[in-house]
Amino acid sequence: MELSDYLPIAVMFILASAFAGVSLVVSYLISYKRPTPEKLEPYECGIVTEAEPIQRFPVKFYLVAILFVIFDVEIVFLFAWASVFGELGWGGVAAVTVFTLMIVETLGYVWKRGALDWNVSRRARYRAAPPAEAAQEMAA
Amino acid sequence: MIDVSYLSAAPEMMLVLGAVAVLMVDVFAKPPPRVHGWITAAAYLAAGASIVLQWQRLGAGGGGLSFGGALVLDPWAAAVRAVLLVVAVLGTLCAWEMLAGLGRRMAEGVSLVLVATAGFMLMGASVDLVMVFIALEIGSIALYVLAGIVRSSPAGDEAAMKYFLLGAFASAIFIYGGALAYAGTGATNLFDIERFLNDYLVARPAVILIGMALLVVGMGFKVTAAPFHSWAPDVYQGAPAGVVGFMAAAAKVGGFAALVHILFIGFARYQGAWSDGLAVIAALSVVLGTLLAIGQSDVRRMLAYSGVAHAGFLLTGMTAGAPAADGLLFYLATYSVMLVGAFAAVTAVSGPAGAGSSFDEYRGLGRRSPVAAAVLALTMIAMSGMPLTTGFIGKFQMFASAWDGGYEWLVIVGLAASVAAFFFYLRLVVLMYFRPGEENGRDPDAPLPLPVTIRWVLLFSAAVTLVFGIYPGPLLGLLTRV
Repeated sequence: MELSDYLPIAVMFILASAFAGVSLVVSYLISYKRPTPEKLEPYECGIVTEAEPIQRFPVKFYLVAILFVIFDVEIVFLFAWASVFGELGWGGVAAVTVFTLMIVETLGYVWKRGALDWNVSRRARYRAAPPAEAAQEMAA
Repeated sequence: MIDVSYLSAAPEMMLVLGAVAVLMVDVFAKPPPRVHGWITAAAYLAAGASIVLQWQRLGAGGGGLSFGGALVLDPWAAAVRAVLLVVAVLGTLCAWEMLAGLGRRMAEGVSLVLVATAGFMLMGASVDLVMVFIALEIGSIALYVLAGIVRSSPAGDEAAMKYFLLGAFASAIFIYGGALAYAGTGATNLFDIERFLNDYLVARPAVILIGMALLVVGMGFKVTAAPFHSWAPDVYQGAPAGVVGFMAAAAKVGGFAALVHILFIGFARYQGAWSDGLAVIAALSVVLGTLLAIGQSDVRRMLAYSGVAHAGFLLTGMTAGAPAADGLLFYLATYSVMLVGAFAAVTAVSGPAGAGSSFDEYRGLGRRSPVAAAVLALTMIAMSGMPLTTGFIGKFQMFASAWDGGYEWLVIVGLAASVAAFFFYLRLVVLMYFRPGEENGRDPDAPLPLPVTIRWVLLFSAAVTLVFGIYPGPLLGLLTRV
């Protein structure tokens, strides 16, 4: 491959940079500037921000985030299967079905276990369910 | 479609199904603890039946590679699984009281034990470095969580954190070694690596050798070989008493199982290089483990350092290469049963979820609980390598292999350390039988409650140690007798 074959890419790169740069500069030069407090917010629409984001979050966010990461990474494996879908045939479908059932099982477990409940009441109910075990836990 | 032999992964599948069943039954039915016991027992039975089927398949000339060459069904894999299954059953019995005490989190504990067992079993069957790594992580991550599963115990948290950090570090070293081996040979499958090294004369094998060394170091962490042992005493001391025996034994069996496949198959060509490396690690482990065990004032730390020395003895045998595999299997099987037995006695003394166990607590144990004291004494004597116990035969085979392999100096170091080791093993025996226990301000003769599960573990462990110590025939040469 000759170096000249890359010329279209270079032209495209220059054009894209020029368009973005010119648009920004021109709009900065010719626009009216009447700042209001709302306009200076990071997000102009949506719920009004009440505080800086650097603060303490409820630990519930952590649980949901970690569960999201787990399920997200698990689903990535489906892409590997999809890329050789034709070669694997029905055996592959069966294997992925088993895999998906395992994920569904995990979802069922965390759901029933109360990890997805935003309100604490349900988890408290789970804890109180079998009195003997609750007493054992208290003792431990 | 890749070649799939469900039989070659059947024991692991049974255990994982059992773990899933325990979790699902727990959240949907909220059953009493004994239901978890039934499910676990069913999973172990199914896994045992699969191992028997595997053994029959091997006897009929079957076996070989499956799952795209990631798993192998050979006598070593099947035998290691059998050992791990015994360790898991004993470990579960030993930990049962602790697990039942977890309340609503009991199912998590039970399923973690099952998953850890499945992971280490898979390590013994993996012949692809990537698969070894995945199996290692399945087993190890379950153990990290088990170490800290008793939330009210700060010592358990510390143990879990240390185990996790150093374990993750070891895994990173292992996978880096795998990457270098791949860079040097173009393969992660151990049989492909073996073929590459046999077909080509590598002019500059530095990358391959460094990769191999890092693989050994990574596994060295898992089997607590010196100088990679620093986590073991803290973890054994802080983790809940019930699971420590299982943790220690399963990780050691799994680590050696994988190391045997990696070195004996993949890098058989470089045996000259890795034998010397293993000999140095073995000598360090034996000497450091013994010397540090002498100074301990806590039985669990003492057992951890003695485990370092035992890793050294196992590595001593490994220097001889493939001919030592039979002896390694015997040593792993009998040592892990001894270890679980010893920790069953520790569990009886320090309570199911307790942390730490100083020597003082063992004063006068001979009168407080004759069974626990007798079995603990027997396992100590067996670990020291006294004849008529399995410890002697295992050690003898390791030394014989190393001697035949030309590592006479290593055998002499091992023998010297064995003699020194009598001191700390027998110190515990003396403490239990010949020292009164009134310093603790409690009744010296107050009988120690011994749960029936722990009693079974103690008796089984003692029986195995004595019977195979006197009559080792059935366990010797198992691999060649398929």
